[in-house]
Amino acid sequence: MSEKIVISPTSRQEGHAELVMEVDDEGIVTKGRYFSITPVRGLEKLVTGKVPETAPVMVQRICGVCPIPHTLASVEAMDDSLGIEIPKAARQLRELLLAAHHINSHAIHQFLIAADVVPEDLMVTAINSVSEIRKTVQNVVDMVGGEGIHPSDVRIGGMAQNLSEVARKRLYARLKQLKPKLDAHVDLIIGLVADKGFPEGLGVHNQETLATDVLYGDRTKFDLERFTEIMPESWYDDPEIGKRACSTIPLYDGRNVEVGPRARMVEFQGFKEKGVVAQHVARALEMKTALSKAIDLLGELDTSASVMADFDVTGTNKLGIGAIEGPRGMDVHMAQVADGKTQFYSCLVPTTWNIPTMGQATEGFHHEFGPHVIRAYDPCLSCATHVIVLDDEDRSILRNEMVRI
Amino acid sequence: MVLGTYKQVVTARSTDKQIQKIAQDGGIASALLCFALDEKIIDGAVVAGPSEVMWKPEPTVALTSDEILAAAGTKYTFSPNVWMLKQAVRQYGLEKVGTVAIPCQTMGIRKMQSYPFGVRFLADKIALLVGIFCMENFPYESLRTFISEKAGVDFDLVEKMDIGKGKFWIHTQDQVLTIPLKETHGYEQNGCKVCLDYVSELSDIATGSVGSPDGWSSVFVRTDGGDTIFKQALEAGAIEAKAINEGKFGLEMLTKLSTQKKEKAMKVIDERKAMGLPVPFKASSEKEGDPLANV
Repeated sequence: MSEKIVISPTSRQEGHAELVMEVDDEGIVTKGRYFSITPVRGLEKLVTGKVPETAPVMVQRICGVCPIPHTLASVEAMDDSLGIEIPKAARQLRELLLAAHHINSHAIHQFLIAADVVPEDLMVTAINSVSEIRKTVQNVVDMVGGEGIHPSDVRIGGMAQNLSEVARKRLYARLKQLKPKLDAHVDLIIGLVADKGFPEGLGVHNQETLATDVLYGDRTKFDLERFTEIMPESWYDDPEIGKRACSTIPLYDGRNVEVGPRARMVEFQGFKEKGVVAQHVARALEMKTALSKAIDLLGELDTSASVMADFDVTGTNKLGIGAIEGPRGMDVHMAQVADGKTQFYSCLVPTTWNIPTMGQATEGFHHEFGPHVIRAYDPCLSCATHVIVLDDEDRSILRNEMVRI
Repeated sequence: MVLGTYKQVVTARSTDKQIQKIAQDGGIASALLCFALDEKIIDGAVVAGPSEVMWKPEPTVALTSDEILAAAGTKYTFSPNVWMLKQAVRQYGLEKVGTVAIPCQTMGIRKMQSYPFGVRFLADKIALLVGIFCMENFPYESLRTFISEKAGVDFDLVEKMDIGKGKFWIHTQDQVLTIPLKETHGYEQNGCKVCLDYVSELSDIATGSVGSPDGWSSVFVRTDGGDTIFKQALEAGAIEAKAINEGKFGLEMLTKLSTQKKEKAMKVIDERKAMGLPVPFKASSEKEGDPLANV
């Protein structure tokens, strides 16, 4: 006798999603389905027909949680389409910006899972530790990106400005000082996750991992030929869910995959662990990778170097790809520019890759662990939350028939 | 209230011979910023530095005394310093910023501090705001036009400009020319006609030549922060001060000019309101209480 457990919306994540689990008599999940219940984003359509510079500014608004990866993926896609080779210092600044953002975003996630893994007597310590780290790394984002949330200085062709020497030295010193604190924080989180005593094998699945780089992203590692996208109706075997799910299902070599910190560590650092604990550990360890990279970059950066390439925005309609490793996984933006206007734009955002895998990962354990499995992916569905409010009075949103174009 | 709120008003000048030589009057803005920088009260300043074009200032982030001094002296056209503040705390990484601003910019900065839209983490990083007296300001082309056409001097030959005694003074290598201020009217930017602030009423410390003898400046110390810095600068001997002349050529003159500016602007504001045109302030002669307290 199977029963259905529905969690809607799933909590402590960005955006709205639903987890539907079929369970047996003992409460063990036999079939897990996770899907987004937020209407489609329309930003790709908004930027087409406009000048290429519009795209990064608009698509960074896809999400307030990871605006940095979206901005970077967007400018990288445009750079690629327009055939721009950006200066070395600009590349360093972009990498620095993303490294700082990784630390910040992972810290936010650790705050979100605090209620799950941190005992009450350590709560204040853990939260203070998260705050301290975020404060320091957001300072880097502010200075390099020009704005802490929607970075204004990341531009097609490079960056709007280089850092001053004073800022470089200051940030270098601060990040060096942060190192012992971050190390202690990582140990704390890994220790707390271990102490929680998740059952062995929770969240383990056999899907492949997909990542393009240790931390930044590399468009040459993303093979568009191997990518396919199907509609939810043909993915979910429950027609009702197929109809309600709002995100498409991206497949690599015809299979669903896992992206994110664990995927990056598996692909590039020989990480072997799987499951919920492994994801938390990978995420925490990646903060160390990001910090040491940020420190290196600040040490190497030439603050007198040019950060903007000369380029022509006319374009040749080449399909440009920007692949950025966001905190939650690979974020790919694709753009085509011709006649000085964006002709085509498409985003393949991190959590979209994870959605089909996440439900599957809940299977084989008691349904009470379902939310823990979901949260371990740090899902962020706000890439899909952009809707048009039709009427401010009754707050009605985009009509369903418009969503289903 | 016509001169804004202040803790004290004095006549002062920089004791530094180098500053005295290059400054417009008493060199108060330069002296205060250099002193604050040396004492680490600020870690940099946004100033109207030189650009590639003669007499066209460019907002510059000064990190050394030399860079501050390179910006000494009054330029009678705009330097959009407020625009550079954000860059100073972002790319330049400053945390205690000093700046020099004319009254409209002072108002802008204070408003920005109260409503920091688009300027996150900037409001609390402004450590010293030196305001300067300002009756009106000229667009660059206006300035160039009346200097080359009315005074008949090539712009590039001008070494110093000044306003005083009802005239616009132009100093070149070998001559001093004047244009009556009446003739410069109409060249000022439009916004100046509705501006109610002559003595940078919202600054930390306001300074200008009017009310003090040549080579000295009148100084209004307005805020607690400004008071602390000014006292420290006095004690350290960076600045010397004496009592201001309360009479006709001192405070009375300042009061008269400030009142005139306010009354004139309120008239324009009233006219614009009557015509249904927008004005940047709610202030007008109909304001309850003391209309002259309008800023």
